[in-house]
Order: sequence, then structure tokens, then C-alpha cells
Amino acid sequence: MALSVDHVTKRYGDFVAVNQVTFEAQPGRILGLLGPNGAGKTSTIRMIAFITVPDEGEIRFNGRSVGPESQQQMGYLPEERGLYKKLKVEEQLRYLAELKGLNRAEASRRIRYWLERFDLLAWAGKKTQELSKGMQQKIQFIATILPEPRLIILDEPFSGLDPINAELLREIIQDLKEEGRTILFASHRMEQVEQLCDDICLISRGEILVKGPLRDVKRSFGRDTIILEFDGNDAFLDELQAQGLVRIGNRSHHRAELHLLDGTPARRILEAALHHADDVYRFQLVEPPLSEIFINVVTEQQGGLVATRAQHLLR
Amino acid sequence: MGKIWIILKSEFWRRVASRGFILTTVLGPLAMIAFFVVIGFIAAQTLTSDARTVAVIDETGVLLPRLLAEETNPHHLVAAEAPVDSVRTAVLEGAYDGYLVLPNDLLSGQGRATYYAVEGGGFSLENWLEDRIERALEEHRLREKNVDPEVLEILKTRVSLNNVKLTETGEEAGDSRFYSTLGVIMGMLIYIAMLIYGTVVMYGVIEEKATRVVEVIISSVRPFDLLMGKVLGIGAMGLVQMTVWAVLILGGVTFAGTIVALFLDPAALNLPEAASQQEILAAADITLPSLSVDVFVWFVLFFLLGYLLYAGLFAAVGAMVEQQQDTQGLVLPVMMPIILSIVFIQPVLESPHSPLAVILSLIPLTAPVPMVVRLAVTEVPLWEVLLSFALLVIGFIGAIWVSSRIYRVGILMYGKKARLKDLVRWMRYA
Repeated sequence: MALSVDHVTKRYGDFVAVNQVTFEAQPGRILGLLGPNGAGKTSTIRMIAFITVPDEGEIRFNGRSVGPESQQQMGYLPEERGLYKKLKVEEQLRYLAELKGLNRAEASRRIRYWLERFDLLAWAGKKTQELSKGMQQKIQFIATILPEPRLIILDEPFSGLDPINAELLREIIQDLKEEGRTILFASHRMEQVEQLCDDICLISRGEILVKGPLRDVKRSFGRDTIILEFDGNDAFLDELQAQGLVRIGNRSHHRAELHLLDGTPARRILEAALHHADDVYRFQLVEPPLSEIFINVVTEQQGGLVATRAQHLLR
Repeated sequence: MGKIWIILKSEFWRRVASRGFILTTVLGPLAMIAFFVVIGFIAAQTLTSDARTVAVIDETGVLLPRLLAEETNPHHLVAAEAPVDSVRTAVLEGAYDGYLVLPNDLLSGQGRATYYAVEGGGFSLENWLEDRIERALEEHRLREKNVDPEVLEILKTRVSLNNVKLTETGEEAGDSRFYSTLGVIMGMLIYIAMLIYGTVVMYGVIEEKATRVVEVIISSVRPFDLLMGKVLGIGAMGLVQMTVWAVLILGGVTFAGTIVALFLDPAALNLPEAASQQEILAAADITLPSLSVDVFVWFVLFFLLGYLLYAGLFAAVGAMVEQQQDTQGLVLPVMMPIILSIVFIQPVLESPHSPLAVILSLIPLTAPVPMVVRLAVTEVPLWEVLLSFALLVIGFIGAIWVSSRIYRVGILMYGKKARLKDLVRWMRYA
């Protein structure tokens, strides 16, 4: 029940949206698909969902090319949500389930179960447009998983949900994973990806920059991040940055994430902190957070591109 | 096929079960009848209030008796002996609507008759007076010349026109105006099917695109299935609506015959009391015209194909835009042939075998309306009907092919308006 994307390219006119992309998603694991806006995530997902077809390469699910058959085993929650406004919640869910090949009776039974689990049973007979945005989000999530698909594609599933519902959703996604489903999770929210994903695949400008199990990826970037918690004047941080020794990530009044640049030894930072700060509570060398890896890798690629373009112009 | 059926059912039910549909379907004909009743009532009112009383001052002494001798409906002529001044006062006081002066030298053909009134009588009164005076004068002058009374009889002949429709199989009794009306009604029904139901399809596509639900749907079914399910589902809705209307109208027509028969007394028509409705109507010389079955069958076929052709095109337009407001420029080229076929209904009615009529009824985009109009009013050669229908089928297949390609790409395109160049590109996408 694995999904394999094999050297896939998609062009729109002269624009290459996806360029020779290769990755795999395994059952019982969650693959995080990351990338900046316009990176080619949606184009890739649409090809997996057999909404569009690749110009080159092949996409297989369970060993066979994706097509109408794999569509039946797939649930897709697009980033741009949408439901029929005038259909009643129950009709809506039943229609979408029937399109996946579920019969009415079974669909109705499952609709009851899921509406109850999401605390929406009272709304079953209401028109969809009468529901709040968050409720509609939940309805669409139910519609995605109702036919019990083997492959689940979730594009920003948490957007617009309050913390309680987000937690509920996270729980359900974990359950689905444990049931052995193959899950594709696309998001910009790095902390969600870190929390949920087993594997990641970072796309930018249609190309894969980083991929692999989350642990391995993080390890490969080394322990080059310092978490510092302190009291006192924080001007020394700016000084360190000005000297080109570190780059400051997340920063608040008493806490900072510092990324060591060009092999700056960690003790150099500790010395500075002890020297300037009134007190130091925490000094820890850690793996970089995913957001840091993301920014690094993407700016490196785009910086490279900018440089080539600049050279080109100078000539 | 299974998917198309599921979509068809859903598209059909969600529309047919809506309050709006039930209201328009049931109340539509009632509103139409109410409309015609009001129009008829107003027309009747104007007709009776139009009857005028005209005082006639006859200086010739010979014309008035002749004028009065003839039937004077709907206006009344009254001899006025009093002097002109008092007649004028009577008119101003409202005793008469106006007065007519026939001078003595009118008889020699030199003078002019003059009509005086507070308010103009309108063309109909003017024509009516002219007509009467002319005839009276003509008769008088002919008699003066001692023309043979038999010749006078000949000159009195009035012709009323009888209309009979000729067909190859014989004469069809009934007013050809009925067939013209029928043709226009059938043409209008097809027009509605193509334009109104086509627009419903277009808005359905736009709604799916605007709410973005389309992306979920086409991750379950092929765009072509979605397009066909939608077109057929809305078509089924249209068919139900038309059938309800047809039943109501046919019921009304049948009922009308019964009502007419009720008001006719069998005895007055020299028929036994137990005479059937048909016998009564036949004796009273009232024919309820009949419609041949093949005309009806062709009507249904052209109706369906015409709808399918345009539903496909409208769906493509819907796929090219994001909001209803954006459709205006794009929808015009699609609507043009439909409007054209309605504009040319009159010429087609008048000469159903003219080159214009034949050509219009062969071009798939314009064929449905003129063809049923021609079928209703005349005998169209079978080969023409078959050719027109075959071309329409080909046109439909071509349109659905083009539309489904535009649709497939268009439903996922956001952010910019499609231009002709884009369409060509979309169609080449695999």
C-alpha cells in the first residue's frame, strides 16, 4: 500500500511546476510534504490524486499506476476547502461518500459515527452554509476519511481549527496511521510537521531539496543550535550576530535560538553569555528545529539562483 | 456510468426538491394564465368602451338612410335634425361622442365629410366611418346611374378568409394560425430549454468552482463524468418541469373544449340532447386542431439534443470564469445563435421553405428552433429533418468533446480570465 512518485515532471506551458520529483510514502507512516508557497506541492498532490497527469515519470499506488481505481482508495482534503453550500450536512457527506463507491446504508452508519465523534450530530439536517467555518472544516475532514481510504492526503488540515479540535484531529490522524494507512501531510506549520511526521520531503521550485525520515534529516544538519535562556541585557546577542558568529532564530526577551555559523564553537557563545548576561538559566546544544532547516535550505537554493541571475546580468 | 448516475441523481434531486423549483413549476403556468386573463380583460374593457355614438348631420338627405340600413356595430350612428350649434353643444355636454357632417356636395364627389369630436376617435373609428361613408356614397351614385341591381349585388360581395393547411396526405382542417402559434410555442420551449437550462448548468459549474468543491469531486470521478452527470441531471429536471407544464396545458386545452361544449345547447344545433362533445363542437363548426405524432416526436428529439448541445457549451463557459459576473462577455457568443434562431422565427413562419429557413434549420447551433417551427407549419422533406438531426448529433458530440476539454482544465484554473489563446492551449493539454 505504498505510494511511489517516480521522476515526475509537470509543465504548464514553459513553466516547470514539478521537476523530476521522486519520493515514497509508506503505510503506517506520515509523510510531511513541505515547501514554500508555489513550490509545486499542490501540483504534486493533484497528480497523486489523479486530477492531473504528469508529463514525465510515473506515480504508483500499491504497485499500480494511479487512476480511477486508486482514486477510490484515496481521500483528499485540499487546502482550499469547499462544500456544496445548500446541501444538508448529511446529504453532503453521503453524496461525497457515494462518489467514492460507498453504498448508502453503510455511508449513513459511518456518518452518524463521525458526526458524533466531532460533536456535530445536531447539525446533520442543517444546510452546510449555516455552519461556522470551523464546523465546515470538520465536515470536510469527515468527508475525506469516511470512505476509509488507504491513502490519505491532507493539505493544511489544521488551519482554522481551535486548539481543542486540532487536538482531536491530531488524535484521529495518529489512529489512522496506526491502522496502517499511508498519510501525506502538506503544511507550512513546521511545529505541526515535527509533531506528526515520520518522514519529510521538502520541495522548492518544483525540486526536492531534502527528504528522508525526520530524525535522519535533523541529525544530518548536526547539533548546531543553541537554546539560551537568561536574564539581563541582550545586546551581546546582536554583537555576536554582527561578528558573523551566529544567526538568531526565534528570539524573545529572555530566550533566544542561536544558530552557529561556520563552525563557531559553542563555548564561545557560552562565554559571551556568562560575560554579558546577569544570569543564565539554560544553555543547550540541540538539533535545529525543522523551521530552521526549511529556511536554510530554501534560502540557500534561492540565493544560489539569485547569484546566478546576478552573474548573468553582469555579463 | 455508475458515477454519472450518482451525480445525475444528486444534481436532479437537490434542484427538484427545492422550493424555488416547485413554485416555478406549479405557479408558472398559473401566473401565465393569470397574465393572459388580465390582458384579455383589459382588451375586452377597451373594446366595449370604444363603442362610440356619433350624431350625423346629413345635408344630402340620402346618405343617412343607407348608413343606418347597414349593421352599425360596434359604433352607433344617430340622425341629428337639430341645427349644427345645438348638436355641437350636445357633443360638448357629452350626449354624443362626436358628430359627423355630410355636406351636400359630397354627392358630386367634391365635398368632404367632417367628423367633430372632443377627443379623437383613433384610427379604427376613422377607418370605420370612412368605410361606411364610402360604401353608402358608392351605392347611391351607382343607383343614380341606373346600374343593374344584379351588378350592385355583385359589388356588395364581402369576402371572409378561410385558412386550411395543405399536406401531402390531404387537407388538415383548422386554422393555419393555430399551427403558427403552435410552432412558435414549441420554438420558445426549445429556446427556454437551451437558454434557461443551459444557464442553470453554467451556474452549477461556477458554483462548484467558486466554492472549490470541484477539486474534491474530481479526486473521486473523472471531469467528463461530472460534466455529463451535471448536464443530464439538470436536463432531467428540465424535462420534469416541461412535462408538468405540458400536462397542465393539455389538461387546460381538453378542459377548454368541455367548457365550450357546456355553453352550447345541443337543441339549438339540431342535435339530440345526448350528443357527444365532439358532435356538438363539430356541429358548431368549432375544430380543435390536432397535432400529428411525428411532429411531437421530432419536437422532443430536437428539444433534447438542443439542450445537450448548449448545456455542454454553457458548462465550458462556466469553467472559464470564477464568478457569475465574469460570464457576460463569454456567454454572448454562445447565446448569439440561440437569439438569432428566435429573431428569425417570423421569416421562417412566413416562408418555411425559403433558403434562410432551410439553412438555419441545418446549422446545428441554430437548427432546433427553426426546425420545429417549420415542422409545425408545413411539411418538411424527411431528408431535411434527418440531415438536420444528424448534423445536430454531430454538433453535440463535437461540442461536448471541446467543452469537456475546456472544462477539465478550466475548473482548476483560478486567478485569471481565460482568453481564446488559453482555450486552444487547454484543449491541447493531455
